[in-house]
Amino acid sequence: MSLFSNKSEKLFIYIFFGISLFIPLFLDGNTFYINKFASIIILAIFVMSLDYLVGRTGLITLGHAMFYGLGGYVFAILSPEYEAVNFWLYTLYVMMISAFIALIVGLIVLRTSGIYMIMITLALAQMTFYYFADSVDYGGLDGLFIYVKPETSIFGLNFLDLDNETHFYYLCLLSLFNCFIFFKVIMNSSFGRVIDALKENPDRATALGYNIFHFRLIAYVLASSLASYAGYLFALQYGFVNPTMMSWDVSATALVMALLGGLGTIYGAIIGSFVYEGLHYTLEHLTEYWMFFMGTLIIALVLALKNGLAGFLNNLARDKHDE
Amino acid sequence: MDSSFYLVQLLNAVQYGLLLFLIASGLTLVFGVMGILNLAHGSMYMIGAYLAYYFTFLTDSFFLAFLISGSIALLIGILIERFLIIHLYKRDHLDQVLLTVGLIFVFNSIQSFVWGNDPLGIEVPNLLSGSIKLTDIIEYPIYRLFISGLCIIVAVSMYLIINRTKLGMMIRAGESDRNMVENLGVDISKLFTIVFAIGVFLAALAGIVSAPIVSLVPGMGEHVLISCFVVVVIGGLGSIKGAFIAALIVGIVDTFASVLLPEISSMSIYLLMALILLVKPQGLFKN
Repeated sequence: MSLFSNKSEKLFIYIFFGISLFIPLFLDGNTFYINKFASIIILAIFVMSLDYLVGRTGLITLGHAMFYGLGGYVFAILSPEYEAVNFWLYTLYVMMISAFIALIVGLIVLRTSGIYMIMITLALAQMTFYYFADSVDYGGLDGLFIYVKPETSIFGLNFLDLDNETHFYYLCLLSLFNCFIFFKVIMNSSFGRVIDALKENPDRATALGYNIFHFRLIAYVLASSLASYAGYLFALQYGFVNPTMMSWDVSATALVMALLGGLGTIYGAIIGSFVYEGLHYTLEHLTEYWMFFMGTLIIALVLALKNGLAGFLNNLARDKHDE
Repeated sequence: MDSSFYLVQLLNAVQYGLLLFLIASGLTLVFGVMGILNLAHGSMYMIGAYLAYYFTFLTDSFFLAFLISGSIALLIGILIERFLIIHLYKRDHLDQVLLTVGLIFVFNSIQSFVWGNDPLGIEVPNLLSGSIKLTDIIEYPIYRLFISGLCIIVAVSMYLIINRTKLGMMIRAGESDRNMVENLGVDISKLFTIVFAIGVFLAALAGIVSAPIVSLVPGMGEHVLISCFVVVVIGGLGSIKGAFIAALIVGIVDTFASVLLPEISSMSIYLLMALILLVKPQGLFKN
């Protein structure tokens, strides 16, 4: 059994990670662009988790950014103000607490599906947004600052410095790679097959004796925890968290990126994030009203593309193969 | 804080609830008949408010602005349905979400391009300015009563149109069995255009009448949209009766929470929604 579902995926992954490994070399210490790439990679992890949730389980959420924000906030709230904490330990804490919150939220939102779930996830995310935006303890709209970055030594060995942009870039890249492998392994496991069956035909899966709710809940918790991990990386990179991380348009934009890359393809999340952010960056420099062109582009995409860019690439590859 | 204080709060709550109903009814009507979730519904509210602002300044008459903005909203609704929504009827929910999110982006940038990002506002029209005395010391602005009255008129006419007219009959039929309606020779695409335009009009109407009492800021549409979702989820998606009752509940809970429990006021309606969903996942009035 191969890790890759098709040729274009294999090719893309090899090329993408091959090039990404050398990006800091090309940029030669240009920290602005190294940071920019790192932030897109973080975004790609977030989009990937959403891509799995929406594309594989068929559950559409418009509140995924809630977990992105929570990941950052959990870390900022947990860590003492002027003391470096252990990176590995706090990664574990952040993911565990986020998974627990995802479990509670999942118990509520997964009682519904379809349009209802879209509206409920959106409303809950907005509730969390307002909670943090109004809270005096957590800094309101300004959010919280992280003054000291965690230290990363294992058994006294210190090979990763989070204050160093290049080190941080490689941490993000490694996280993205692990995330990709993780989702691919899950998809190929028996768990992943049940999830596929649930999406295809929930009634038949139920008749076969699978508890739909449990499987969906597990997928929801997994995807949400990884979204939190991405938010945690964001907090580490910029040294602050604020409520805009979980505003509705972050969720909506992530959905657009996932669709752009091809829903449920996992590697499409990387394509989607890079293409969207590339466009965003270019348009932003051309006009103040870049949202207008982005909006028009999204509308055109929905009307024109059925399976996103990944589907488009795959079709191209298949056409060539047939010739 | 005596009883007259609570009376004023109650009037405010009902006025807010009725206004929410006006917006939510459009959302729920479009979903009920066409199966389309229009996330750009809040943007229509925003556009309504900004158009009212623009034409009030241009014509110096709020009532003229009211008529012009309302007609433009209907036109926008027809155009969006004819050119964009029409492609979505056979697509899944996700495509609806994405296309309407794209519309939000477009309308938000049009708003910031034309009117800028500073808060704007217009005066309450002369005819409706001033207050009436509720008791010896408490007064209540006439304009807010006018909004409540207008919303009640809209609610009653919607009830009459849906239950007593031929258009209403087709709407009800469209809600229960779309294919059958088509087979019976009703021009379903015309019906959809009309329903969508009405939906957009209702949201814009709410924006127009709110323009004199709220400040016009970017993002006002999204804020309203989320509140409408809460109303529609509580009331049951597609149910106009449900939207009416849920809107009043949300208006009352929201207003009194900000008076009595200011710490949790911004979360109160979401907590209410989560509680109701735990008991009734389909909302209160799912038919």
